[in-house]
Order: sequence, then structure tokens, then C-alpha cells
Amino acid sequence: MDCSYYRERINEYVDGEMDYLQVAELQAHLSFCPDCAVELAQTGELRGALADWGRLELAPPPGFAERVMAAVELEPAPGATRTAGQLLHDTLHKLDDRLGSISLPGGRTIPVKNLIGWGVATAAVVIGLGRRRERGSRELPL
Amino acid sequence: MTASNSHKWASLPDPSPAELARAAQGDAKAFRTIVERYQGMVYSVAYNVLGSHTDAEDAAQDAFLRCYRKLSQYREEASFSTWLFRLALTTAVDYKRRESRHPEPVDVPDLVDDAPELGEGVSAATIMAALRDLPDDYRVPTVLRDIYGLPYQEIADVTGRPLGTVKVMVHRGRASLRLKLRPAGGTA
Repeated sequence: MDCSYYRERINEYVDGEMDYLQVAELQAHLSFCPDCAVELAQTGELRGALADWGRLELAPPPGFAERVMAAVELEPAPGATRTAGQLLHDTLHKLDDRLGSISLPGGRTIPVKNLIGWGVATAAVVIGLGRRRERGSRELPL
Repeated sequence: MTASNSHKWASLPDPSPAELARAAQGDAKAFRTIVERYQGMVYSVAYNVLGSHTDAEDAAQDAFLRCYRKLSQYREEASFSTWLFRLALTTAVDYKRRESRHPEPVDVPDLVDDAPELGEGVSAATIMAALRDLPDDYRVPTVLRDIYGLPYQEIADVTGRPLGTVKVMVHRGRASLRLKLRPAGGTA
């Protein structure tokens, strides 16, 4: 029997996203399909185990609070006027968040923001060289 | 964004308004109290989303710096712990989108409490290893959905992915975790 349709419905069922008729249809299938019944039970158990896991608290590495406070000490007081450099830093950081990055071979990534910056810089150099060459050709001695 | 209130951190008493006001004005001692009280929660959220000790520490530190900068914007519409949880979660997801993952399969954090067995007879170490080995594309939405109870639409908003994609990723994440937690031949 091809149960792929019901396997998808099982996820919707545990997420509480099915209406009454869909639940009845799934229950009718489960009543004669032990494989899907096992899958439903396992998915329910998995969600229970994950929820239990989420209630556990992981210990931060030793000295974590001290490192956070050392970084906080470098911050301007909340509400203080931020310098142009800090504003630029914040803006670039937000740009990184918005634009994301592109994966490179070897697991490295390159921020899209940097690519745009290099593109703009390259275009400026090319335009500058073009204008210089143009000016040079005009100033040739007769 | 909503979060299950059954988590341990949700039962922590919020800092008093006076403590929050002092921290919001830059009182380092008051802010340190907040860091010490919530570091486990913020670090756990970061680790569950990122699956790497190094990334989790960076993202958790980033979350506290954002908290320090934005504390004056906190309004008591939600509890402080819920506000900080939301900040930690979005910071970790932003970090995931921004930074490459540091491969670190061995060095895992300790649990604050001794809890070797979870409700369904699965050990905490097994769950931790299974989550860590899950591909990032599956782990992040699965963690947000099944550990932190976020609705699918909110996961789509936070991760910047289409709703249908998020659902598929969660379904695949669950299937992958079931296989890891139930070895061949195992049943419910």
C-alpha cells in the first residue's frame, strides 16, 4: 500500500492542523495500517522527547558572564549619542543581517554586502581610469 | 512570536522594574545580575538553533549585547524572560544566516541539571547528538517548532523562508530524527 499521502497527514495531525473530516479519514486508515500507526506513535514520542529536551538548560562555558560583561563595558551607555563610526558599524551589521552571504567551496561564505562594496569600488576605479585616459588624450601636445 | 511557558526559564522571577531601570541606564552591576540569571536560557536557545558550542557562545554574547542596547525599549507587555527569549532566538537565527558554521563535533556543553533520560526513554545525550548532526536547514525550523513551539508562520517570518518550505523542512527533520533515535528494527 502507498502510504505517502497518510505519512504527510500524520505530521499535520500532530501539528493540530487537520479538520474533523481529515482526522476521521486518517483514523480510518490507521485502523488497518500498523506501519502508519507506528509512525504516528513514534512522531508523538519524538515531539515529547524534544519538548523535554527544550526544558533542560545547558551550562554556558566557564567565564561566559565575565566575557559578556567585558564586551558590555566597551559599549556606550544606553541612550548615549553614538559616534559616526559606531553608527556605520551598526548599519553594516544590519546590512549583513538583511543581505546574508553566499556559500563558497570549502564551507566558507562571503557576505553579499562585501561583494556589493567590491563591485562599487571596482566600478569607481574603472570610471576613474577611463576619465584619466580621456583627459590624457585631450592634453596630447600638437 | 510565542513560546511555550513550560520551559524552566519561564518560571524564573523577572527582575524588578527598579533593577531593569538601573540596567537600562547602564548600571553594570544590575545588568550583570540579568546576565547571570538568564545565561543558561540564552545559551541553550543559541546552542539548539546553531548546534555548535563556538557559534552558540558568540550568538549568546551577541544576544546580551542587543539586550543591553535595547533594554530601554522593553515594555512590560510581555514578561522580561519572554522578551529576552525572543531576542535570543532572533539573534541566533540571524547569526545562522550571517555566519558560517564552525565544525565542532566533539566539544558539547554540559547540562545544568543531571537529566540523563527524557520522557520517552531517550537519553539527553542521544537527543543532543541527533540534533547536532541534523543538517542546518532541517535543524533550525525543527528546533523552533518542536522544542520552542513556534507556529509555522512565525518560523517562516523569522527564518525568511516560505511557509511551505518550512513545513517540509520540519517534516524531514522529524523523519531524520526518528531514524536516528530509533535504530533499524526498533519500534515505538
